Amino acid sequence: MNSFIRLLQRFSYIILFAVLLAVSLSMYINTSYYQKAKVGAATGVITGFFSEKLHNIRSYMDIKRDNVKLSLENVELRNEVERLREVIGKCADTAGYNLADTSITLIRAMVVNNSVSHRQNFITINIGINDGAYQGMGVICDGGVVGVIAATSPNYSTVISLLNTTLKVSAKHAKSGVFGTLSWNGYNYQEVELTDIPLHVGISVGDTIATSGFSSIFPKDIPIGVIKDFYKKDGSFYNIRVQLLTDFRALNYVYAVRVRNITEINQIEGSR
Amino acid sequence: MYKDYLRYILIFILLLLIQLLVLNNINLGGYINPYVYLLFILLLPYGTPRWVLLLVGFFTGLVVDYFSNTLGLHASATLILAFVRPSIMSGLRFSNNINERSMLNISLTGTEWFIRYAALGIVIHHSTLFMLETFSFRFFHLTLLRILLSSLVSFVFIFFLEVLLTRKK
Repeated sequence: MNSFIRLLQRFSYIILFAVLLAVSLSMYINTSYYQKAKVGAATGVITGFFSEKLHNIRSYMDIKRDNVKLSLENVELRNEVERLREVIGKCADTAGYNLADTSITLIRAMVVNNSVSHRQNFITINIGINDGAYQGMGVICDGGVVGVIAATSPNYSTVISLLNTTLKVSAKHAKSGVFGTLSWNGYNYQEVELTDIPLHVGISVGDTIATSGFSSIFPKDIPIGVIKDFYKKDGSFYNIRVQLLTDFRALNYVYAVRVRNITEINQIEGSR
Repeated sequence: MYKDYLRYILIFILLLLIQLLVLNNINLGGYINPYVYLLFILLLPYGTPRWVLLLVGFFTGLVVDYFSNTLGLHASATLILAFVRPSIMSGLRFSNNINERSMLNISLTGTEWFIRYAALGIVIHHSTLFMLETFSFRFFHLTLLRILLSSLVSFVFIFFLEVLLTRKK
C-alpha cells in the first residue's frame, strides 16, 4: 500500500497534466467560434483601445492610396445617384414611391484590428451596440464581403472574417444566377472556394461571383470576386476557386449592413 | 525572494504586451505568426516543481487565448511545452552548477546551451499550436512551412528579448 501511494505521488504530475490537457482541449474543441469571439469581445474594451491607437498610426501610411480609392468610389456613387434620381423621378408620380422607405442602411466603421495569417481570422471594428450593431450583422467594404459580426460590446464589435474557415456565405454565379456555398480553405488570403454549383451551368474563368441575397445578412448582388479556375468534384458539382476583389491585408474602412426589419425577419424565421 | 516574484510578474506583463500589441498585429505573407510569450515558461527556475510548471503553463496560455479569440488553443500548446520542459533540460544535460531557484539566464547557461534549449522548446510549442489550429492533415506541407517559418522568427525575437532582459539586470 505504501509503495502504491509513493507511485501515485511520483506520477501525480502526469495525472495533473492529463487533467489540464483534457480541460484545455475540450475548451478548444467544444466551443464554437461565436462563443470564442464572445469571450474576446468582453476584453475588447482593453485591447480595442490600444488597437485603435496602433491602427491610427498605421493608417497614416495608407492614407494616400485610400484617398484615391475613395474619390474613385465617390465619382461612381454620384453617377449612380444621378441616374437613380432620374429613374425614380419618372416613376414616383405613377407608383407612389416613398423615397425614405429603404430596407437597408450602411453604418460606417473603421477596422481597428485585423489578421489574415490564422485559420480562424477575426476583425475588430469600432462600432458597437451604441452605434446600432448587432450579432449576425453583415460587414462589407467597397470591394465586397468582409464578414459577419459575431459579438458586440458597447463600442466595439468582433467580426468573423470571410477568411475564417468556419464561415460559410451563400453566393451566386452572377451571369446565371445559380447559387452555391462560399468558404475559405485556410491557405491563401486572396482566394476562396465556391462549391455546390451544378455541372450544367456554363461558367468560365473571369466570371463575377456575387452575394445571393438569400439571407438577411448581406444585400443582393455585392461582388465578391472573379473565377480563377474550376474543376469537377464528386461528379456532379463544380469546385470553383474565386479570386477575392478585396485585399484583406489592407482593410481600413468597412460598412456594417443594418437590415431595417431584422427582428421581424428573425421572429418569423425562428417560428417555423 | 519577493523581488524574484516581482521580476517574474513584470516579465510576464512585458511579454504579454509585446505579444498582444505588437506581434499579434504582424501579418507576414500569411505564414508567419511569431509567439514570444512562451519565453516566460522557458525562464522559470530549474528547480520549479513539475506541477507548478504545468499550472503556470496552462494559465499563461489561457491568458493569451482570452485576448486572441482562441479559447483553449494556446493553453494546450503551452501546457505541452511545460510538460516536456524537464525532459528537454535533462536531455540537453543541464549543468547543475547554478542556483536551482534563480531565473534562467543566458549569461549563466551559456549562449550555445540556451540556443538549443530555446529552439527545441519553440519548435515543440509551435508544432502543437499550428497543428491544433489547422486541425486537419490537408495541406500538411503548408502547415509544416508555417511551423518552420514562425519558429524561426519567434526564435529571433526570443533570443534578443532574453539578451535585453539579461543586460537590464
